[in-house]
Amino acid sequence: MTAVELELPGRSAYVGVARLVLGALGRAAGLDEDRVDDLKIAASEACANAVYRHDEVGVEAPVTVRWVEHVDRIEVQIADRGGSLDPAELQGEGEPYSRFKMSLALLRGLVDDCEIRPQEAGGMCTVLVLWRAS
Amino acid sequence: MELGLDVRQVGSHAVVDVKGEIDVYTAPKLREKLVELVSEGSYDVVVNLEGVDFLDSTGLGVLVGALKRVKAHDGSLALVCTQDKILKIFKITGLTKVFPIHSSVEDATGSQS
Repeated sequence: MTAVELELPGRSAYVGVARLVLGALGRAAGLDEDRVDDLKIAASEACANAVYRHDEVGVEAPVTVRWVEHVDRIEVQIADRGGSLDPAELQGEGEPYSRFKMSLALLRGLVDDCEIRPQEAGGMCTVLVLWRAS
Repeated sequence: MELGLDVRQVGSHAVVDVKGEIDVYTAPKLREKLVELVSEGSYDVVVNLEGVDFLDSTGLGVLVGALKRVKAHDGSLALVCTQDKILKIFKITGLTKVFPIHSSVEDATGSQS
């Protein structure tokens, strides 16, 4: 198992850094370029959502990105220290083509599994899973 | 990370050539430019995404916002995009039903090259 943890300032300027690092990790793990691109978009969405959640509650806190390679899958966890998320929002309610709704569509459409869950210590964690071909 | 924005007039259309990555950090710059164009009276806008390497939901939100603004003036907002990786973003989010997407600026503006 290979694991990498990255702690970034929870500001929009650093979302591109997460993208670069995850792109490099994806290539090192042997993912093809299309999968790397998909992962970069999904991870970027999760990081941007974390930054927005920090802004909403006025928190200046880091965003933690954890990369874990298992035999059968790659898991990327993006954790924030923002507020909780309204379950109705996760159901895709609200205005059509709102930023968050489009973000959810990208998260769910680009990786094999995506779960957004509250953390015990507060904030939310987005878990992205890419299953590896056996 | 820089976002390049060049505006040119093609016939009755204002064409914005965008270069670089449109994300949560750079999208406000695109929003500003599009708001400025509309406030100056450009209601038929073409956003050329051929030089764009990356586009996220914040960037999409900016384009949707700009579409609402030009429509309030009976205007139009068309996109130019042929890159599969960018087109995929529009397909997944359902925005291919919202924006006219063209394969060239000439096509989007109805002009001859």
